[in-house]
Amino acid sequence: MTDTVLQLQALSVSLPAHGGGRLVPVLDALDLQVRAGGMTALVGESGSGKTVAALAAMRLLPRGARTSGQVRFDGLDLLAQDERRMRRLRGRIGMVFQNPLSALNPSATVGAQVAEGYRLHENGSRAQARRRAVELLGEVGIPDPARRLDDYPHQFSGGQRQRVMIAAALACDPRVLIADEPTTGLDPLVARQILALLRRLQQSHRLGVLFITHDLSIVEAHADRLTVLYAGRAVEWGGAGRFFAAPRHPYSQALLAAVPRLGQAALQGIPGRLPDPLLLPPGCRFAPRCPHHRPPCDDGYPPALGDAVEAACCLFPLAPPVPARNMNVVHAPPAGAAARQDDAALLALERVTVRHPVIGARRRTAPALQEVSLTLHRGECLGIVGESGSGKSTLGRAILHMLRHDGRILLDGQPVADLPGPERRRARRRIQPVFQDPRESLNPRLRIGDALAEPLRLGGLFDRARLDREVAALLAKVGLDPSLAGRWPGQVSGGQAQRVAVARALAARPEIVVLDEPTSALDVSTQAMLLTLLRDLARSEHVAYVMISHDLAAVSWLADRIAVLKDGRVVEAADTATLLAHPRHAYSAALVATAPRVQDGAGQVAAGPVRLPSPPA
Amino acid sequence: MLRVVRARLGSAGLSLLILTLLAFVMSHLTPGGPAYSILGPAARPDTVAAINHEFGLDLPIWRQYLRWLWQLAHGRLGSSYLSNQPVGAMLLSYEANTILLQLVALTASLAIAFGLGLLHGVFHARRLGRLIGTVELGLFALPSFFVGTLLILWVSMGLGWLPAGGLEDLRLQHQTPGSILSHLALPAATITLFTVPALSRYLAQSVHEELGRDYVRSAAARGASPGRILFRHVLRNALRPVVTLLGLSLPTIFAGGIVTETVFSYPGLGWLLWQSAIGQDYPVLIGIVLVIGVLTVLGNLLADLVNGLLDPRTSYA
Repeated sequence: MTDTVLQLQALSVSLPAHGGGRLVPVLDALDLQVRAGGMTALVGESGSGKTVAALAAMRLLPRGARTSGQVRFDGLDLLAQDERRMRRLRGRIGMVFQNPLSALNPSATVGAQVAEGYRLHENGSRAQARRRAVELLGEVGIPDPARRLDDYPHQFSGGQRQRVMIAAALACDPRVLIADEPTTGLDPLVARQILALLRRLQQSHRLGVLFITHDLSIVEAHADRLTVLYAGRAVEWGGAGRFFAAPRHPYSQALLAAVPRLGQAALQGIPGRLPDPLLLPPGCRFAPRCPHHRPPCDDGYPPALGDAVEAACCLFPLAPPVPARNMNVVHAPPAGAAARQDDAALLALERVTVRHPVIGARRRTAPALQEVSLTLHRGECLGIVGESGSGKSTLGRAILHMLRHDGRILLDGQPVADLPGPERRRARRRIQPVFQDPRESLNPRLRIGDALAEPLRLGGLFDRARLDREVAALLAKVGLDPSLAGRWPGQVSGGQAQRVAVARALAARPEIVVLDEPTSALDVSTQAMLLTLLRDLARSEHVAYVMISHDLAAVSWLADRIAVLKDGRVVEAADTATLLAHPRHAYSAALVATAPRVQDGAGQVAAGPVRLPSPPA
Repeated sequence: MLRVVRARLGSAGLSLLILTLLAFVMSHLTPGGPAYSILGPAARPDTVAAINHEFGLDLPIWRQYLRWLWQLAHGRLGSSYLSNQPVGAMLLSYEANTILLQLVALTASLAIAFGLGLLHGVFHARRLGRLIGTVELGLFALPSFFVGTLLILWVSMGLGWLPAGGLEDLRLQHQTPGSILSHLALPAATITLFTVPALSRYLAQSVHEELGRDYVRSAAARGASPGRILFRHVLRNALRPVVTLLGLSLPTIFAGGIVTETVFSYPGLGWLLWQSAIGQDYPVLIGIVLVIGVLTVLGNLLADLVNGLLDPRTSYA
């Protein structure tokens, strides 16, 4: 292809191991091309080597890394350039990173950072650089760019910061933009706006985009080519349309099946974990986790069936799966459907308002929650969705009685806050939390068994043998091996740690579990397994959930009812099916429209280009 | 910003009151007393009682403290029991000597620590960084009375290049600039050797941390050179903890290194503090404690204000 602007050829990377001098292979013979005006997606879970590929192309790997292969850009092999020439070339390939807040210098103005590339490469004067920065900020949709030029990154919202990063990457009119997880951590609506911006730039500048992500659903509507990485090796590549219609590698299929989508009946995770890069399986790297594994898979790495344009590296590529079309089933009977008949609410929030005290502020700030009234019945799952800053987590904390609030929170008809001390503590045990990041919510200096025994001891159980039995039973309940009790939280995977956190919540025998973004720190494959586990536990343990998330698809998979939160108010609360089919509020409608949904049989992407609410001014 | 300053100074007033009260009670509780310092150990009890009466030391301690506060409210710090000079004037003249010494030492420390710290931070886990780290640790482990004594032994007594002390009067009209510098050199070097490792290690750690941040990668991806990344992006962020440390050490700077000034018998505030503590010269002692307290408050405040300028996220609006 003549219009290929960036091409990786057999790119391999080894990184020095922590502490030791040994080199660990992390990327193996990756071929990939980005065309002018097109978007190539590089998809993989954490540890797949996707970020390393991008950093290798830009020659930004840490000292000691070893690279081989070629990175062709503009007739040059970037891996063969000396550092000085490479610095000049870097402005001509733009790069955007995950988490724009940390990727921007907190103590330099946005204008200086946007114009930096221009100042370095075009030798413009200060005034010219300012003009260029205004132009760039305007182009990426920052309102009133001339006035915002001298503001600092912390004065922008998350989505705006990512726009600023993109503007900085565009400073020297690059022909290629490498975007490494640019939408991860952003709200779904904002993420879609960033994608729409990238698409616009692709067309107006003939910009080639290499989009790196773990989330297949986000590139579905935008990428034209796609490469799936697993454990440092490409397992499948080809046109995006063909891929989403008929993924052929078992890993690709499993990955697609693991993303929660609206209207999906069954979610399937991928059991097992990534192989250790120093102990790679001899054959196919996915073989140990593959449901279609057969003996020849272990003989050697499977050759690519296909050519450089379209191929899957699998000896037994799969026929396209029967699409899980379940629009008529929509919901498996909700976990608490039967229980909901009994009228008395287990938990009732009556006009709950929370104001965060701001030190030194003279005027009272807008409340984080305003007069929220909600009910939760026994065994029910109530989903709370909303963008960041909408008050979701504040609501969770209020339910857990971790914050001062106005209004009343009734547990079984009794206001918990009014109970005398000991009874209040007993009442609080009935509501347990599970937080977003299990690595932070588990004490790193407490063995998993001790972390689980703590709530049991607080419940009055002190007999060592019985404690051990109970801990083993809890671990078994969340699908973990009882031998994990002796390990430290740092020694288990993120998915396992989150299961431990769920087990710890269940140890107090709660009636309500508040799940605050329980899956967003997890990889796609583990996410699905945790959601399935939560649904099973709701039935077997008869607990009610309050599930807080920005991922409407994940919430709708679990929740019986959903409340949509915006600016601290509940703008809509309805049965899940009703909300998805007929959202009443404009904001809910936008959330529903942008959530990934099950494709129809022809493989057409249902969520085509979506009309978005214009970016907030 | 003015509001922050006012609020901080308000709360500092209470801290200073508690500080002087503690210093007052503790110094008065030590056995002996100024009368014995003046008269010697063989003093007759009736003379001691007369002197105690003259200084008001026979009053209950709370009344003595109130009297001291009353004086302070009128801008007086009392007079020295030993030299009979007004404490305020004494503090000023000794303080001037200390500031001169500490300014020389601080300038040298900052210049050396800055270069060393940057090198150490940039080459953190590499050979050069480890070498600098080792040197810093070694210097850090040497107490200043040891270094000071060594310098006296080698440089002034062995080589005879510089005087080891004996500077009675540092007022400029009595000394040539050359003589002042020669007297400052050794004590300043001792203080510098003491402050450099701490400052430079602190800066190195901070630079190393900042170099690992995402915004450094962004700047590199735009084609910024390592030098530009270090001086334009990293330095400003890395300086913040160092400024805090400097603010905290402001009282040491103005109160003088007690040990260093004593070793070189340099007539600064630190030496005066030691002298007045030995001689139980309460008015001077409490006066110095008050000065150190005020400087601590001001140092912290200053560091916070400078950090506010360095970091756009803190606003004192």
